[in-house]
Amino acid sequence: MNFNVASPETNEELFEVIAANQGRNFRFGAGCTDLLIELKKQPEKDLTVINLGYLNDPQFNSIENNDGSVRIGALVTANRITSDLTIQERLPVLYEAANQLASGQIRQVATIGGNLCTASPAGDMACALVALKAECEILSANGKVRVVPIEDFFTGVRKTDLKENEILRSVQIPVNNSGEKVHSGFIKVGVRRSMECSVVSLAYHIQITADDIITLAGIAIGSVAPTIKFASSACEYLTGKRFSEIGSSESEEFATKILEYASPISDIRASAWYREEVLFNISKSIFE
Amino acid sequence: MPTDTHKITFTINGRKMERTISPSLLLIDLIREELSLKGTKPGCLEGECGACTVLINGDAISSCLYLAVNVNGKEITTIEGLSTDDRNAPFDPVQEAMIQHGGVQCGYCTPGMVMSIKAFQEHCEANRFVPGREEIKKAIEGNLCRCTGYTKIIDAVESLFEGE
Repeated sequence: MNFNVASPETNEELFEVIAANQGRNFRFGAGCTDLLIELKKQPEKDLTVINLGYLNDPQFNSIENNDGSVRIGALVTANRITSDLTIQERLPVLYEAANQLASGQIRQVATIGGNLCTASPAGDMACALVALKAECEILSANGKVRVVPIEDFFTGVRKTDLKENEILRSVQIPVNNSGEKVHSGFIKVGVRRSMECSVVSLAYHIQITADDIITLAGIAIGSVAPTIKFASSACEYLTGKRFSEIGSSESEEFATKILEYASPISDIRASAWYREEVLFNISKSIFE
Repeated sequence: MPTDTHKITFTINGRKMERTISPSLLLIDLIREELSLKGTKPGCLEGECGACTVLINGDAISSCLYLAVNVNGKEITTIEGLSTDDRNAPFDPVQEAMIQHGGVQCGYCTPGMVMSIKAFQEHCEANRFVPGREEIKKAIEGNLCRCTGYTKIIDAVESLFEGE
């Protein structure tokens, strides 16, 4: 494993390094926890790692609580997400996904931007962000900014919508401050509890008014398709219903709708059949 | 801009150092090969086992998945940094607790385990928090031990907070 490292500290330096590497082999490195494993297994020739470890820009590095949204810089680590009070209270699905990611040593350095840009169908924080209908803010080396819905950000297994001269700067998550209750969480099924790449994962975020009506539902599933899927028909099914009146037949119908979005493969971790069974059961379980 | 070697300045176990390194050098190799501190163990080298855990500015990280260039300006603590020259009390309380409770068997995971526990202990003390066994398990989730079955390690960690 041998590569060059460029460590831009300012936006200007970042733009310069990106521009200088167009047409060459380069990778971004934030926490580098996925990147280094990949490069150890498959070293790349003439590679430059654009190391974001010293990039000093609050737009990349901070969590901002705005009215009606939370903006999380791409370089914010999983650990910082788990210690943010607004995220703990208003976005439990993201808190739980960040808290279940890998291990403490990895959460200390792994970033939310890295989790998204790796674009693994098993990405934990990525799955939560799909359920939350987050938007990705993308910066290009010529200074232009564009925003894409997270579902369009993932284009395939380990593929994103990012162009060669672009970098993910932040994600923006809508937050309902009207005081509605949230029923929100992340369920990850794997072979063990820690350091586990999920076999199936389910992220759910449901908002309920004081008089028990579901006003918003976001459901995303991971590890059961080439990309993380947003289960729109399952969300529509819930919207408008009374939360406390969802019984076993409703939750089965809900789980059946979710299953329509799954097209799992059999691999070394689990068979397709098993993934579907588990997905059905954990989907039902969120109302128990 | 890219160069063939990088100059880094850092503190390790209280000692300030400057080194010129190759850009793709991993922190574990800086510690073990260039600084000859062999207490930090190479295990899986993929971040799964935690044997290579060290502290950066007090937080536990896996040194096998950390670029040495990223320690510039930071403080590293390895297992060697916990013991002292005092013959009457050579060990850190975490090490002492591991010995007292039989938390050490073959010993290979021990340096990494101790570093994770150290970071956790300091975090708990800073937040005046007394952890229960579930929180202790979560704190050492990134460290594999194939000998002890963890029970005695968890006992050792629990003992650090007794009387608080």
